[in-house]
Amino acid sequence: MCDYILYESSVGYAVFKVKMQGDTIGNRLAEVQNKAQDLATFGKMVEVVTFAPFQNATQALSNANDISEGICSDYLKSTLEAALPKASKKSKVVLGVQDRNLAGSIKEAFPYLECETSETSEVVADLLRGVRMHAGKLLKQLQEGDIDKAQLGLGHAYSRGKVKFSINRNDNHIIQAIATLDQLDKAVNTFSMRVREWYSWHFPELIKIVSENATYAKLVLFIGNKTTLSDDKLHDLAAVVNDDESVAQSIIDAARVSMGRDISETDLENVLDFAKRAVSLAGYRKSLHAYLVSKMGVVAPNLATLIGEMVGARLISKAGSLTNLSKYPASTVQILGAEKGAKDEGKHPKYGLIYHSSFIGRTGQKNKGRISRFLANKCSIASRIDNFSEVPTTKFGDALKKQVEDRINFYASGEPPMKNEDAMKSAMDAVLADIHIADPTAGAASDEEMADGVTAAATEQKVRQKKMKKEEKKSKKSKSEDVEMADGEVKKEKKDKKKRHSEVNGVKEEKTEGKKRRHSEADVDGEKKKEEEQGLDLPPLLCPFSATTSLSSHPAWLGY
Amino acid sequence: MAFTPRGGRGGDRGGFGGRGRGAPRGRGGFGGDRGGRGGARGGGRGGGRGAPRGRGAPRGGRGGGPGAKGGAKVVIEPHRHAGVFVARGKEDLLVTKNLTPGESVYGEKRISVQTTAENNAGAVNGEAAPATQTEYRVWNPFRSKLAAGILGGMEEIYMRPGSKVLYLGAASGTSVSHVADIVGPTGTVYAVEFSHRSGRDLVNMATHRTNVIPIVEDARHPLKYRMLVGMVDCIFADVAQPDQARIVGLNAHLFLKQGGGVVISIKANCIDSTSPPEQVFAREVQKLREERIKPKEQLTLEPFERDHAMVCGVYQRSAA
Repeated sequence: MCDYILYESSVGYAVFKVKMQGDTIGNRLAEVQNKAQDLATFGKMVEVVTFAPFQNATQALSNANDISEGICSDYLKSTLEAALPKASKKSKVVLGVQDRNLAGSIKEAFPYLECETSETSEVVADLLRGVRMHAGKLLKQLQEGDIDKAQLGLGHAYSRGKVKFSINRNDNHIIQAIATLDQLDKAVNTFSMRVREWYSWHFPELIKIVSENATYAKLVLFIGNKTTLSDDKLHDLAAVVNDDESVAQSIIDAARVSMGRDISETDLENVLDFAKRAVSLAGYRKSLHAYLVSKMGVVAPNLATLIGEMVGARLISKAGSLTNLSKYPASTVQILGAEKGAKDEGKHPKYGLIYHSSFIGRTGQKNKGRISRFLANKCSIASRIDNFSEVPTTKFGDALKKQVEDRINFYASGEPPMKNEDAMKSAMDAVLADIHIADPTAGAASDEEMADGVTAAATEQKVRQKKMKKEEKKSKKSKSEDVEMADGEVKKEKKDKKKRHSEVNGVKEEKTEGKKRRHSEADVDGEKKKEEEQGLDLPPLLCPFSATTSLSSHPAWLGY
Repeated sequence: MAFTPRGGRGGDRGGFGGRGRGAPRGRGGFGGDRGGRGGARGGGRGGGRGAPRGRGAPRGGRGGGPGAKGGAKVVIEPHRHAGVFVARGKEDLLVTKNLTPGESVYGEKRISVQTTAENNAGAVNGEAAPATQTEYRVWNPFRSKLAAGILGGMEEIYMRPGSKVLYLGAASGTSVSHVADIVGPTGTVYAVEFSHRSGRDLVNMATHRTNVIPIVEDARHPLKYRMLVGMVDCIFADVAQPDQARIVGLNAHLFLKQGGGVVISIKANCIDSTSPPEQVFAREVQKLREERIKPKEQLTLEPFERDHAMVCGVYQRSAA
């Protein structure tokens, strides 16, 4: 049973008093249901206590966002405070709310209130349906169509906010840039080939001397008509071919005895025009590449340091976003980009995109699989650090890269690599030292237990971030002890452990007895895994795109 | 022709503009996601003229202006379902009255017809004095499941001029725009779509049609958008999710009027790719029953879509 009902509409909050209590028994009868259909009868069941309209569009939007997240906003608080009578301990006031989460927040703000939701009581659900149906008529202040208009405006504002604050926002540019870069590569190549074809008609020997595409196109621009080439241009010509005078000299010699045909002024003009385009396209490709490198340095610095900007960008593009990539297991990262083709005779592919990393190229054929697995592990870790850390740093990337190199060296020479624990510790220390300088209070505070997500003040965030990284380190540490054992097959060890862990769970879950034993046993195995999970669970709190803060501060509103 | 005086359900419905009737159309690369349709779909006018093009592909310079080719010969007749019309010309086309004359939403053809005050159907005789232009947009059943369902002979679509419709799985808003045409300026379409990418197009479309309320939110959590939606007359769902019936149920319990209509397009492969489609459909219908939706009819969307079914029902909150 409930005494009051809260209705959140697009125009404002309304509190209704329930005058005729419904009954759970017989609630589904057609007669009862039909009552709610008719305004004449339903109007007698409820009565408006308060209607608190939103003052403007911004307020409506921020309230809509709060309601959507189940947060009791200040406005709702004050509305409820004014509308509901102060209940004593003996007689509690029961409020019917639609959403369970919102009910929780309301109870937190008003301890003396009892809340019923549409999930706990069908009577409440039906009352709310009735209110929703007749709201336009029940709320006397409103005019015909007010709610519809407000819905339209609010719907647009809400959806625009959702679309605008997409989490993929940042890495989207990387995805586009890498795609453009790939296309440019193709285009530059075809352009260059065409320039060669065309200009060779006039000066076929040039291609033999300079075969590099970009330089060739530049040379075409410089030389123009080969008959104009003379010894006094030697110096300038050499500047185009990397100050190599011998090459420049041979070009001039070749021009004198060239068997190419003469070219008319207009023809040459067209050739040069096209060559100019090819050169500028190559220049654009270079600047785009520089943009991608700088962008990767901001969005995914560790991943870029570890595996290179291009391959890193390709991984992000293949996964769809950095967030997606960080959610993938290392085994998926390993074969990312190898979904189709590249499968040698039905065998599983060993490597996808990361095959293009220079690490794999440097490794001997026998160890390529091992290194690719190891590298995928490190990429996965790097992408997670990148995705969930707030202050970008390349320290971890450097450490991870060093580890991969050591590992390659180990396979080649047998020189034992640094322990994972030590490697990560030194990286962590380096990062901590950085942060320490930036924020002297952080070090002291990090020892205390922190409540998650209490404030968003800069210092606190940094502390939390450090904690997260510590957590991550811990998990790595605990793993590494076992991993670094015999043959260094990191992945295998980990997999085995996980398998064992899941087996324990799986077998025991079928049995109902021996519950206690299961817990203790599973915990021993699961502890490490848990720690790892913790490390991953924490970071989302650091995510700067919490919908409520970003949306409410956003003033976009369309005047529909 | 197929869609005037209806024969039995599932009867003759192939006569759509001389399209390859009965011949199953090969749809290469029909992926799970809605954007990935690459199959050959006829152009706006069908027949031999429509060049196949992928969904959403930009159209070339072929975009016909209002009343392109043979516009004078086209006669508009109202369809059995209010708000839907049939353009009878060289071929017959399903059309809706354009809410925003002069604009195509996704590059579809538009047909303009002279109408007199009384005579809604296109008048050919030139003497009608207060002739006004009415524009209709062609509704391609290969791109819209609702259009396919209507051509398939749905008994009732539960949406008519003035209706409020909750549209789950609105995607880019191509079909939504036609539903908005049907309900007209007095109705409302609440278009729910979760994908941000499609949501952007949806919001864009909605800026031109004020009876569409775009909601970029997960249809699984109707409570999140409860402030934006009122009670509706009909829920249309094309979400292609394994828990589709549950999603529809959740929304119906919150927003659907007693006795309101439910129209669901079910893609068998999305629910369960291992069982035979008929079995999947039967299971889904059963699930709907448990959500207090009384199934009224079920029809296949062949030849427009493969292994799809359209299920219509009525929400009955009171126990029978």
